[in-house]
This record gives sequence, structure tokens and C-alpha cells, in this order.
Amino acid sequence: MVKDVRKLRNIGISAHIDSGKTTLTERILYYTDKIHTIREVHDKNGGGATMDFMELERERGITITSAATNVRWKNHTINIIDTPGHVDFTIEVERALRVLDGAVLVLCAVGGVQSQSITVDRQLKRYKISSVAFINKCDRVGASPYNVIEQLREKLGHNAVLLQIPIGLEDSLSGVVDLVTMKALYFDGKNGENVRIDDIPNDLLEEAQKKREEMLDALSMLSDELAEAYLEGEETEDLINKAIRIGTLSREITPVLLGSAYKNKGIQPLMDAIISYLPSPKDRINTALDLDNEEKETLLPSNPAIPPVALAFKLEDGHYGQLTYIRIYQGSLKKGDELTNVRSRKKIKIGRLICMHSNSMEDITSASCGEIIALFGIDCASGDTFCGGGLSYSMTSMHIPEPVISLAINPKDKKSSDALSKALNRFTKEDPTFQAYVDAESSQTIIKGMGELHLDIYLERMRREYNAAFDVGMPQVAYRETVTSAVSFNYTHKKQTGGSGQYGRVAGMLESNRDTDYEFINSIKGGAIPSEFIPACDKGFQECLRKGPLIGFPIVRIKITLNDGNYHPVDSSSVAFTNAAIGAFRLAYSKANTCILEPIMKVSVEGPSEFQGNVLATINQRRGIIISTSESDRFSRIDAEVPLSEMFGYSTVLRSHTQGKSEFTMEFSRYGRVPESLAEKLKKEYLEKQKANK
Amino acid sequence: MVKKELIKRSPLRILEQSIHGGLGNGNIGVIAARKGVGKTACLVNIAADLMLQEKHVIHVSFSENTHHIIAWYEDIFTELANRFKLDNAQHLHDNFLKNRIIMNFNQDTIDQEKIEKSILTTIETCAFNANTIVLDGYDFGKSSAGDLQSFKNFASQLNLELWFSASVPDDHGYFDGSSIPEMIQPLIDKISIVICLQPRDHFIFLNLVKDHDAEMVGNPHLKLDPRILLIAEEK
Repeated sequence: MVKDVRKLRNIGISAHIDSGKTTLTERILYYTDKIHTIREVHDKNGGGATMDFMELERERGITITSAATNVRWKNHTINIIDTPGHVDFTIEVERALRVLDGAVLVLCAVGGVQSQSITVDRQLKRYKISSVAFINKCDRVGASPYNVIEQLREKLGHNAVLLQIPIGLEDSLSGVVDLVTMKALYFDGKNGENVRIDDIPNDLLEEAQKKREEMLDALSMLSDELAEAYLEGEETEDLINKAIRIGTLSREITPVLLGSAYKNKGIQPLMDAIISYLPSPKDRINTALDLDNEEKETLLPSNPAIPPVALAFKLEDGHYGQLTYIRIYQGSLKKGDELTNVRSRKKIKIGRLICMHSNSMEDITSASCGEIIALFGIDCASGDTFCGGGLSYSMTSMHIPEPVISLAINPKDKKSSDALSKALNRFTKEDPTFQAYVDAESSQTIIKGMGELHLDIYLERMRREYNAAFDVGMPQVAYRETVTSAVSFNYTHKKQTGGSGQYGRVAGMLESNRDTDYEFINSIKGGAIPSEFIPACDKGFQECLRKGPLIGFPIVRIKITLNDGNYHPVDSSSVAFTNAAIGAFRLAYSKANTCILEPIMKVSVEGPSEFQGNVLATINQRRGIIISTSESDRFSRIDAEVPLSEMFGYSTVLRSHTQGKSEFTMEFSRYGRVPESLAEKLKKEYLEKQKANK
Repeated sequence: MVKKELIKRSPLRILEQSIHGGLGNGNIGVIAARKGVGKTACLVNIAADLMLQEKHVIHVSFSENTHHIIAWYEDIFTELANRFKLDNAQHLHDNFLKNRIIMNFNQDTIDQEKIEKSILTTIETCAFNANTIVLDGYDFGKSSAGDLQSFKNFASQLNLELWFSASVPDDHGYFDGSSIPEMIQPLIDKISIVICLQPRDHFIFLNLVKDHDAEMVGNPHLKLDPRILLIAEEK
């Protein structure tokens, strides 16, 4: 348990894929004594870096899922949340960002600010996360850290303040000059573990002095105290550090450090910067929604003595069962405590509290606010909030969007079938927007999700992690059917030819309903239909909604009012009235100006302004409606509504139209009417499919 | 009520009559008031009325984000749909949205030329033949007669009309909404219509202070009801 929350840092390392994020993380773990040998990402012996423990990630050299790692540095505790660097895995990124207090933005000294760095930076800005920048790969040919700083200012709009200058560059990189202490730092020993402090080499003295002045000029704007001292020539290390911290916390400046993770240069000073400048959980404002109080936003004070509130941000199915990573926002947890999962209202008892290293774990007895830990054997989904002391707070919105796209998967053999069900069981728990079921008609396994890419990632993981072999069907959009006009019905179901008969008459109104998918109103007066048969009528109508006659998708936005009917003292039964309702519905539905609805997605595209025209064209070609555009000097954002069926393959199209510099996000917005021509095509296809099945 | 009826009965028909048939292509209209008095509501009322008539509107804003503007349109549509019991409201709403594009600019970092270029790109790329552009939150304090002339030329070229809102600063001398505010006086040659908003008796009255070249300016007797955000007739 961390005694002083001010000595705790929850940080992410955010970067472009090839800027050396994983190598940097490895070095941090090494210097903090958690691992004893350094492994490389692309290790020939198959070791692989500790943080990238999924096979798929190892092969691609990228990190998909976020693992949390706890390290100690100079009397401080640092939790490193490994944030994915790839745009396509946004769900993971957003979840990881939610629990961060600060970040290290890693940039490549050669490649500089690339489009991916822009994406990562935008995500950090969205969550108002303070960051320090680390210019990595200063040992590479073509390394130009000063160029990168310019880009950091111009492309990302950071007020970048350089705290170090390199001693030598490319193969001659031997250390860094610390502009705060005005000392040279060298990294001796086999793995650079011994930091040697020396005088600044004579040939760098002038440049160091110049850069220090630039640094102090920038910092003086943030602290009057420092400005005064600087004027008098009496600035102290302490004052400078204080000003850097103030500027970093308020996100007015981004301190910049540099080095080479691969060559073990500049890592320890970066660690010092993390604990000196990045915020502790106490420096951040966190809020939750109070479900007992109309989801009012409520402040979560960083106080260990009040009832606990924690967010489960990551689930992992390891060798020893399900691990749930949580961040505690207020209060404390200890072994044996009882918590309530606010979503499911289920009570859980904390059996084991774990402090995680990348692939190993340590049992602890308690933890308090600000900390990131893992729980064992807790049944929950990712994004769930746990509360104690009768609180009913939710860290995230309780609304889980309905999946809008589905596809069928057919395992190739029995082994794959078993592996598949294991994988689906796990993924559906980890991600509430990913669902799976077996279709009763076709006996196929159907998976559903929020978009093409979303499903692709899971398909890939099933192949890799579970060795499942399967065929995949074409993605299918979840259409709906509905009516646009009101129709009255009066239908008699009669079967009275010998034996026990069936009789029932139902009359009423079928109309469209704006608010809910189905509403049934019983306005029968005077017992025209005996009350015991009313549920049977309701059941009959609902049965019809499951599969519409137009294209076989569910019928929604329907209101049915039952206002008259007739019964037979002997031949009427529940079955008879259910059948009467079915007959009435079918007849009325065919006359009620039916139409097909399709999922309309809210699409946001962000990128450099120069491509705005191209992006608008891609949306326009996809039956999209532009809702709004926002433009500042360099960036533009376009918000649009586009039918999901038109969005297949959009990421490739967008990349090719914007040189890969724009990114898009997509979420379900609403159901909208399919244009007539397309509706005809869908109906025709459905008819042909039905004929083929016969 | 059917849509046709709603359009016919709209109080904005009265405004049109008062200003001799409307603003007119190539012309600039301004709605002026102190901050928080209802300029955006008036602009959105004008835009929503056009959108219901299947005319195309570009709503240009200079604020931080576009969420609240979208909310304005939603509120006004919902209010109209509920108040006048519009038939097939869901379908009308979907079509309504197709007739509007919101464009948001940061006036500090983007010059007028770029704004015009961006609007043109949108119109051309999306084949969105805008009839009206409303510009909300434009800073007249930073604007010159040349800038307005450039906007007028742009509007003439594209055959559309421009409605602006002008925020009268608190420290800008006496302003009671009965005459042309001081801040737009130097630019008045370029402006065809000026409507000032006058808050009184729990309502906001629309006061026409410039009507094209007419010497006598009539009063449209319209008011904005701040509770429901709709423009209504003064009774």
C-alpha cells in the first residue's frame, strides 16, 4: 500500500508505433530492478519484451492490450499503464487513458512528429493529461532532436521546453547535459545503470548556457518567484523545478528530455522527471456519476478514509483465472472487503489483491485511492465500477450501445469449435460491445460488434491466441423494419370444423411509435376479450416482431392498441387468441406503409485541414450527411452521419485520401430510413435467399 | 398538422413581409443585441424555417464547439413538432438535418479568405447548394468594410444571403435596441437589414431598425419567447 499518495504516479507511455516505446518501458523496468536481463522487442531467441505478452503483439512488434506494471523509483511508486500505440485499437486506448494521471510522449529523433504521434497527442489532450516528452533514438543516423522540438511546437502546438541537450549525436551520443543543474550526465556500466555526473564539456558550454536561458525565459512566464530570482541572477534548482512542475500540471508547458532507450542513455533522468513533474493522483480532479442522484457529476476526493470507488478498466484471462485491473479513485480496499458492482448490483468479496508486474504478481493486503491494482476471480465486465459503503457511483456511463454489425463464423473442426467458445466467452466479458450467440435457424455462431475493425481485431485474436481455425461470412448490417402510417385491424381466427375448435377475434390499431420499440395498450372495454386471453394477444404480436416479412429483420417502433374483439365460450383459448393476433398483425402490417431502417453511425474524422475537401468527398459518396465541420489553423474535424453499410473498408479509403494523416472514429447514432431504391434491392435479395433455401 | 401548414403559418412570414419579401441574395442581415439576449435563438429560428422549406443552410459558428448549436436546432425542432403536432415527425427530422451543415471556425487563427474558401469547398464537394449562410458569433469589432464587402461579393457569386449576429459589448455605450448599434454604424452601407433585440416584459422583441433602403421602417410585431425559444406574433 502506498503510504503517501503524493508519491504515486500513474503514467502511460504514449507513442507512435516505431518510436521505441516498448524498449523504453523495458529499460524503466530494468533500472527499477524489476527484471534482471534486458530483452529486446524483436529478440531472436523468442523472449520478447516483458510488456508485450500477447503473441500477436510480439509478432507485429506492437502492443495491443494494456498491462499495468508497478515499479519503485527514488521513494516513489510508479504504475506504468502500457497504452496501445495503434489508432485501430481505440477502445483499449480510451480505457487506458481513463486511469492515467500523466504520460510520457515518446517521439523518434529521426522520424519526428508523425501522424500517429498527432493521434496520440490528441487523445492525451482530450483527457487533459499532463505529459513530458522524450525524444528517443538520438543514437540513430539522421537524429535531429532540435527539429523534433520545432515540430512539437508547430504540429502539436505544445509549448515545448527543452530541459537537456545531447552530448554528441548519432553514434557519438554519449550522454546529456542537464540544463537545470548545468551538469553533464553520462551512463556508465554494461547497461548504463551507473549515472556519472560531470562538468559540461567545454565545447558545449556556450550552447548549454544559451539553451538554459531559453528554458528560464519560458519558465519565468509561469512563476513570478522564479522570474524575480532570475532577474537577480539567483535562480535555484528548486525554484526551476517548481516552475516546471506548475507548468506541466497546468499543461502550459511540455518539458522535453532526450536520449536513446536502446543505447541506455537518458532513462534515469526521464524517471526523475516523471516523479518531479507529472501529477500525483491528488493533483487531478476525478468525477463519477451518482446513480442515486440522477447521474449527477460527483467529485471523488483522494481520501483513503471514505467509502471506496474503483473502476475495472482491464480484464485479463491468465493462466490462473480472470484478473481484473482496477484503479481506486477514493477510499481504500483490503482483503475480505465487500464491494458492490454498480452495474450488475452483485456483491463481491475481495479474495486476493495483487500488485502486478508485467507477467508476474505479488500479493498485497490493502490498497488505497490513486493506486492501480488487480483483483483475482472477480466476475465483472470491463468498465464496471465497484463501490463500497452503500455508494452507487458509476465512473462511466451505464449505457452500452447495441452492436450494429454481425458476421457468421464457422469453426473448421471440433478443436477449433471448443477454442472458439472459450475465446468468445472471454472476449464478450472483457468488452460489453462485443456479443456472440448461436443463431437458432442456421445453427451458425454469430458475432456482433460496433464496426468492421472491431470484429476484425477479435477474429485475429481468436486465430492467434486460441489457434482456432474458422471460416468467416460477410459482415451483415443489423437492419430493422417499421411502419410509417396507422392501420386499424379486425381479424377473426376461426377453426371450428370438427373436434375442439379455435375461435378468437381481435380488433384495434397498429401505428408507429417514436419512443420505444414496442408498446402494447389494452383498451378492451366490457370484456369483449376476457382478460385471461389478453397476454396471449400480446404474445402473438410480439412473436411477429422478431422477424419482419420485408427482409427478415426485427420490427421496431410499433404501438398496438387492442380495443375490441370477440370470443367463443367453448372454442376460445390462449392459442386461438395468439393466432388471431398473429393473423391480425400480418394483415395490418402489410397495409401500414412499411419501411426498412438501417444503423446510422456518427462518424468523426480528424486530420490536417489540407485534406478537408477530400474527406468531405468520401463522406458525400457514402450517403453521409455532414453535421458539422470545425477548423482551426492546421486541423479540421468533420462530424457526419453515415449509414453503417457504407462504412465497410472506410479506414483504407481514408488513409489513401489523406496520406494516412487523418483518423476517424465511429459510433452508433440512431436508426434511419433506407432510401427506396436500396430498400427494393434488399427486399429482392431477401426473396432470392428464401427461394434458395426452399 | 402537416409541414406545409406549419410553414405557411410561421411568424417568419410576417418578418418577410416587413422586409419587403426577405433579405435577398447577395445581401447581409444582422441581428444585434447584448450578450445572452437571444441572437442565436433568432438565427436558429430563421434557419430552421428555411430548412423545413427544404432550403439549404450553412450555420457558421465561431465558438468553441458545435454541440450546443446542434442542441439549439434539436430543441427548436422538437418544440415545433410537439407544439404543432407535426405528422411523421421522425421522418421530417431526418430530412431536416440533411438541409443543414454546421461549420465552426476559430476566428483568431483563420482569416476570412480561408473561411470563404472552406465554405466554397463544402458547397462544391457535398453538392450542397446553400440558400442561406448564418454566421453566429462573428466579431464585428475585428471586421472592416472591406471584409463585409468581400462577404457580400461571395454571397452574390453563390446566389445566397447572409444572416449575421452582432454582439453589442457591455462597455459600448448606450444601447436600448431602438436604433442601429454604434459598433456597426461604420459598416452600415454594406448591411441591408438590421434587427435589434429588445428585452422587456419577459419577452424579447424584434425591432427592425434598417430595412434595405426604405426610409420608413415598419415594426414586424414579433417577439421571441425565451421559455420555448420560438419566435411568435406580438399579441
